[in-house]
Formats: sequence, C-alpha cells, structure tokens
Amino acid sequence: MVNGYAPKTLQEALEIRAHEKVIPYAGGTDLMVQNPKNAIYLFLNKIDELKEIKDDGEYIRIGAGVTFTQAIASDLVPQLMKEAVSRIAAPAIRNAGTFGGNLGNSSDKADSVLVEFAMDGCVRLVSVNGERVIPVEEFFIKRRENNLRDDELIAEILLPKAKCSMPYYYKKVGGRNALAISRIAFAGTYLVKDGVIEDISAAVIGGAAKFQRFKDIEKMLIGKTVGELKANIDEYVKLYSEKYIFTRGRVSAEYRRTVCMNLTKDFLNTII
Amino acid sequence: MKAISQSIRKKDHDPKIEGRSRYLADYNFTDSGKEILCGKLLRSRYAKAKVLSVKLPELPEGYLYVDRGDIPGDNNVNIVLDDTPVFARETVEYIGEPIGMLVGADEKEVERLLGEIEVEYEELEPVTDLRKADHAFFNYEFGHGDVEKAFAEADKVYEEEFRTGYQEQAYLEVQGMMAEPEEDGKMYVHGSLQCPYYVHGALARALGTGPDGIHIFQDVTGGGFGGKEDYPSILGCQVAVAAHKAQAPVRCVFDRREDMEFTPKRHPSICKYKMAVKDGRVTAVDCDVIFDAGAYSTLSAVVLQRGIIAAPGVYDIPNVHVTGRALKTNTVPCGAYRGFGAPQTFFAVETMMNHIAQDMGEDTIRFKEKHLVKQGDKTSTNGKYHFPVPLPAMLDEVDGLAQLRKKHEEYSKPQTGRCRRGMGLSVYFHGAGFTGSGERDIIKATAKLHKYADGTVEVLASNADIGQGVRTTFPKIVAHELNLPVEKVYYNHPDTARVPDSGPTVASRSLMTVGELLRRAAIKLRDIWVEGEEQEVEEHYKEPDFMIPFYLDRFEGDAYPTYAWGVNAVEVEVDTYTGLAKILGAYASFDVGTPVDYNIVMGQMDGGFLQGLGYASIEKMDYDSKGRIRNNSFTDYLIPTALDVPNLKVTLHVEEYPDGPYGAKGAGELPLVGAAPAYVEAIEQAIGRKLNHAPFNAEDVIAALEEK
Repeated sequence: MVNGYAPKTLQEALEIRAHEKVIPYAGGTDLMVQNPKNAIYLFLNKIDELKEIKDDGEYIRIGAGVTFTQAIASDLVPQLMKEAVSRIAAPAIRNAGTFGGNLGNSSDKADSVLVEFAMDGCVRLVSVNGERVIPVEEFFIKRRENNLRDDELIAEILLPKAKCSMPYYYKKVGGRNALAISRIAFAGTYLVKDGVIEDISAAVIGGAAKFQRFKDIEKMLIGKTVGELKANIDEYVKLYSEKYIFTRGRVSAEYRRTVCMNLTKDFLNTII
Repeated sequence: MKAISQSIRKKDHDPKIEGRSRYLADYNFTDSGKEILCGKLLRSRYAKAKVLSVKLPELPEGYLYVDRGDIPGDNNVNIVLDDTPVFARETVEYIGEPIGMLVGADEKEVERLLGEIEVEYEELEPVTDLRKADHAFFNYEFGHGDVEKAFAEADKVYEEEFRTGYQEQAYLEVQGMMAEPEEDGKMYVHGSLQCPYYVHGALARALGTGPDGIHIFQDVTGGGFGGKEDYPSILGCQVAVAAHKAQAPVRCVFDRREDMEFTPKRHPSICKYKMAVKDGRVTAVDCDVIFDAGAYSTLSAVVLQRGIIAAPGVYDIPNVHVTGRALKTNTVPCGAYRGFGAPQTFFAVETMMNHIAQDMGEDTIRFKEKHLVKQGDKTSTNGKYHFPVPLPAMLDEVDGLAQLRKKHEEYSKPQTGRCRRGMGLSVYFHGAGFTGSGERDIIKATAKLHKYADGTVEVLASNADIGQGVRTTFPKIVAHELNLPVEKVYYNHPDTARVPDSGPTVASRSLMTVGELLRRAAIKLRDIWVEGEEQEVEEHYKEPDFMIPFYLDRFEGDAYPTYAWGVNAVEVEVDTYTGLAKILGAYASFDVGTPVDYNIVMGQMDGGFLQGLGYASIEKMDYDSKGRIRNNSFTDYLIPTALDVPNLKVTLHVEEYPDGPYGAKGAGELPLVGAAPAYVEAIEQAIGRKLNHAPFNAEDVIAALEEK
C-alpha cells in the first residue's frame, strides 16, 4: 500500500512538506526501486508550475518536475544537457524521470547533475518560509548527502545562458548502450575568442562519491592562447591527473583513471 | 521452403500477449481452492562451515520450520550423482546453501521471522579459487593417435591457456515451485521447470513414496535456457518436504537477487591447450579442461563431457589427447546453460587456431578452412561424421553477408587512430541431442498420441514449452501427418500423471528426437484411424542403425548421431579512449536441418546469438574472496539491450538429417556457442593484441591497451 499526498499547487505541497515527514516523489524512477518501508510520499507530478522550462534572459530555468523527454524536445534546454539526458536509461525512464528527482536523489552518477556542475548551474529551493538560490555544487555534498532542508522542495534548476551557448564536449561511458549507469562521464564547455581561451569548465563522474571539477586549473587556462595550451597540453593533462580521485566500484579505479585522462586530453584537444 | 517450415501463430501466443497465461506466482489459491503458504529459505552465510545450531524465534500458530530432519525419504536430490542435499547436512558448502525453510501464511511475517533465526556456525576454510581446487568430482581422459610422437616431430609446439567466466541465464521468470498434498495422499508438485520427470524422480526419492505417490506439472514457464533443468528438482523437494510437514500447499518463488546469486549458471573454465604444427598443419592437440563445478556435482558430469568432446573443434587433427576435470569449489553449484560446456572449449580451440595462424603469418580464415573435418572423417571420440559437413558452403554464405574475407584482411593490417575495427570468425558444431548413449540407455523416450471421439488429437509427452515452441511444433508435425488442421491437434503442459516419459527438455533434443517419435506415432494413428472412435498410439525411441555405439568409460564411438553447424562473424569498432566496442554487425549461418516453423527457428537463432554476444562481451559475474557472488542484480550483471546489438544477420543452411522429423536437427543451443570466439577475435584485430579470455569487456580492452 502506498501512502501519500498529491497536491496540485506548489504552495499546497510546501504546506504538507512543512508539517509532515514526507519523501518528495518527482518521477519515482529511483524510489520505485528502493521502495522504502512505510514511506509517506509527497507526489509532485500534478504540480504544473514545476513542469515549466523558461528563459529569463540570464538563465534557462528548468522546473524540478520537467522530465528528460520534455527537456529533449525543448528549444530552450542547451544541447549539452540534452545530449546527457538523452543517454539516461531508456525511453520509459526518461518519460518519468525528472531534473528535480535526479538532483534530489543525490547520486554521484546523476547525468543531469554532472552537466549542472560543468555549467555553473544553480538550484532554487523553496519552502513556506521563502526561497534560496544556491550553486548546485554547494547543494550536492556527496553521494546520498545534500543540503535540502526538511521543509524545502527543489523548484528549479538554473543554467547560466552564457554557458548554454558555448561549444561543449560530452562523453558518457557506461557498461552498455542503454539502461547503463555512468562509469565515467565527462562534460565540458569552453569559449575561445581571437585565439584566447575566454572560458572553460569541465566536470567528471568517476567515482569518489562526488562530481569532480577543478576551478583552479580552469583559472590557469583562462586567458591563455590556444597556442599556449597546445604547447603545454601534457602539462595541463598532468595537472588534472594529479587532482582526480578515482575509486573502485563496478569497474576498477585504474580503468576510470585511464579513460578519464583520455577524455580530458581529448577535451583539451577539441579546444585546440 | 518445405510446407512444414511455413510459420504459424504460436499456440501460446494469444494467452501470453493478452496476459492470460498463469505463471506460478499468479496463483491466488490452489486449483482446489486452498490457501497457499509462503516458503522462504534459510541460507548459509558462509562458504564453508559446520552448522552447530539453529535457534528459532517463537513461531506463531500456522508457521513452521523444516530442515533435513523433516525429510520423509532421504536427503539426497537425484540429479546425476546424489551428492546434492535437499537441506544442508552437518556442514554448509557454499554461501546461500539452504539450511531449512520457514513457512507461513503471510510473506512479510515469514521474512521477519526468518531474520530472527539465529544460526551458530563454526567457520571452516573454503576453497574458492579454481586454481587451488583439488577435489575433482569427475576426471575424464581420452584420445587417439600418438600425441607424444607428434609433439616430438613437430616444427613448432604452441601452448596457451584460455579462461571463460560465469554466465547467468537471466530468464524473465525467476525460479519457483509449489507442492500441494492431495486428498488421496499423493503429493502434487508444479512450477517453472524444464524436465517434469527429473523432478518426479527426485521427489520419489526425497519423499520416499515411490513413483506413484507423486505427480509433477509444468506451469507456464518464462524461459529456462538450461537454468531450470536441475534446479527445480532441488527446490521441488524443498517445498514438498515443507508441504508434507504442514499438510498444506507451500510455494516458494525467489526474488531476482536470490535467483541470480544462488541458482546454477554456466561453468567458469580454464583450458590449457597444446598443439603441434608440422609442414603448416596442426598434427596434434593436447588439452586440459577444467570446469568450476561449485559445491555439488549436479550436472557437471554431462556438461564436462560435452565440453571435452568438442575440445578439438571442427578440425581434422590426427592425434588427440584430452583430459577434463570438474573441480569442487565452495561456491554456488554450476549447471546447465544453452551450449552446455561447448562454449568454453570452442572459445579455447577457435582462439588457439587463430593464434597459431597469426604466428605462422597465415590468414586465420584460410588456416581454419584447410583443417576442416568433412563427411566420413573421425570425430574426437573415434566416431564418424556420418553426414555431409556443410561448413565450406556456410563460410561462403557468411562471407556474402559480412564481406568477411575482405574486411578480415583489411583489419588485419596495423591500425592507428582513436577508433579501430576488427572482424572475427568462428566455425563450430553442436552435437545434436544427448551426449553418448544416454538416449538409448537412460532416457528410453516414449511419446503418445490420444485421439478423441470428436477427431481432435492430444500429444502426450513430457517436454516443456519454455518459449522454444514445442506446444506449436509438436502439433504441427502431428497435424501434418494426419492431414488435419493444426487447430485439431494440441499439446498441453505436461503432468506426469497423464503423460509418458519422453525425456527432459534439454540438449536441443525435443524437436529432433521426440518430434520424430510423434511423427512416427502420427503415421501409425493415420493407418488405424477410425472415425468417431477414441484411439491411442505409442512410439518408443530407437537408436538409428548407423550409430557406432558409444562407451563412456573410454569416450569411444558416436557421441552424437549428427551435428548442427555454425559459422559466425562479428565486426566491431573499438574506441581506444574508452574501451567501448560497438558491434557493427553480427553475421551467422546456422545449419539446424529443416526448420519446423521458420519464425520459431529464427527467433531461437537471433536470441541465442545475442546471448552468446553477451557472454562474449559484457556479461561478467564474479565472486569475492569469501565466495559471495558480486553481481546479483540486473544493475550489476549487464545483459545486452536492443541498442547493443543492432544488426544481426542470420541465414539458415539446411542439411537435412534423415532421422529427424522432415530433416530437422537440434537447434536451440547452437546459436550461442560460437559468438565468443568470433567477438574476441574481432577485438584482437581492432586493438592488435593477443587475447585469451571471455567475457572481454571495455575494462579488459583498456587494460590490454595499457599493457606494454
């Protein structure tokens, strides 16, 4: 027997969230499998205001209840995000799975969250007491741990428009072509103007219970010319190599390291 | 195409498509209206330990616990040997071994109580490493010619070791059995199974009732692939012992993790091959084959026999010596899986032949071609290939489908760049039907036809439709001979109380062997047909006259009456950055004789080939140092999806077998057997490394590339 609430408005949902211990249920594709005992769910799929994709001039705002299928069909969602979410599981899962769920579930293998890390994405969190907007990298602490307060719900994912239009690089490495959890995934964006690197960011899924992004290396690269990157590419790859942490999971740490370094180098080569 | 090959709608199509088929888990009550108790197994936590005590919590009324003390007959499950206990003896031999069963009305409550049972163990040292295993359940040796002399006179001697891993059947429906005590004192046992009479034999022994005290029924079964050959005998005994004590119906249906972790799978293997080459030809082969049997012997004897008989492959090698051992480890017992020992040795021999050819600077395809056996040649066991060997023509067919020779040559040149391609080939057989003289000496199949007064005809046989279509193909054969519309002939799921023992549903034998009995029975019935009368005819198995008698003690004679043949080619593109291999195409020609229903046979060919490609590439299962299976869910044990194998091109080559119905031979297992060597050769070509194990996944590709 499944117990829960199915509010029709966000306000209604927040009231319930404030007063009762409920599990927010967006698409349910993870919760259905986990099937926690005696759970009381807060079903969010009837709330239309969470299903919107908007452009506010500064950000592309993706509602927490937007499904991956919906995002793939949208004209607003950036291509990098579309590419990542189109490789999630299989059509049935993409029809149900949502951005809010993917982030709230706090998996370190969440494909949409990787892109949010790489694109300086933010999350808008709401409660009966108000709202706050924080960077995704601040929200996501590590696997199974995030900064969502007991009375809060995820309302929107915010992707900076400046990043949305940049050239990008994406590669997912799973155990097979569909229904596969990322063993390694690499997402990056960059901007080169007149031979100078104006912007670069890259994040990876590679174990270690988190997403890895190294802004200090990115800072070193910004302002360099493409020629300088080309001349010193092995140095930069080495810098990344020293920073990445890989752990053994379904595959070995060595495999993750080799593949991730191959992809890092390939990404940097793409910029050249 | 022959008339009999024209496809018809499968008899189980409508009920399955419409969701009306009743699987074991679908029973709300028994057919006699009784409530069904739920049974759950108490399993060993250790790979080897003495069970000192089992302390039960207080059990509510209607809940009970059974173990080996409750078995009315004896605590040995009749399989090949009798070493598998119904419930654990004094020691447990693998993680998950059933110690007892807890039974009660409410599943959640049974689960809760199960968790409160305290078992006291004295841990013992398990053997989990196959290389350290020293107890051989079975140890075989055979050969012919003078291997020593051939090695002494050789221009060059090659030696190499090959390894293969577990493979899980991954059928849609998990294992499940139910037992119901009947009013007349008999025990009725039914469930998801392949071999009603195997279960019958096991139950008669465990319950001590003799054959008349029980009957077995096969429920609609959601796939078997060999996984439900021996295991339902074990689970059937367990639920029957519980039902006997409870005097109430008891059902046990596994969850997926339980099924993946604790039921039989394909034997991991280590094969050591040594081959002598003289004047460009292989003159001798000496192979030592080791299979990981797990904790009990179950079906390992027969799996190993099929494996070692195939060890020299489809090649005419004058001097042969083969040893084979099934070794005990403290892990889950391995059993039957489509191919039954042959995928392991064909992987080894095909890869060995490739490596020798490469070393000699010869094209691997041409090297194999010049060694192929032909009609009249000796088999590895001094039997004879009595019928034409169509491999050269099949190679040409695959060449046409895959541009095999051209691409193979192109990809054999050194490649650079991120993505590299390869094309691999395998050439192989699958012995049709039981190995050796089992059909004649042990099974002695009988099949019947019962004609009712209204002119409908019922097939009475014990072969289980597990998706492969015997509920359709058997009636098709009978209807064909009787000139009846196929709607007038039907074949229900077998109940041993009603049907004779036509043998188990194994070894790709049902259609070839039992189908032929039914064809002959139909001719008999046609000859005595009287309109409006109820009539019955019976037919018994007779070994074909041409066969050279097989002696298991010497591995001498015809191990099989005939062979199904396979030629596979696989083309891959490997991303050297990620190790991921994309299958660009998988091509095959299969000779299973005349297809008795083209669509059914093609379904078997595509499905089996796909399972073989999974075995070759991503289906990896392993256990940890304690002997616990790591990959016990579909998240951790990956099987191919439709997106992983987009392009299967399969053609049938028909070499008719005169003793099979309309020329049909064994079909079900063949398509799995040769995929692994073809796939791994393709990866070898792409990455330019010599490889010797399967599965070979992305991680293996990267490791091989990193190796300097």
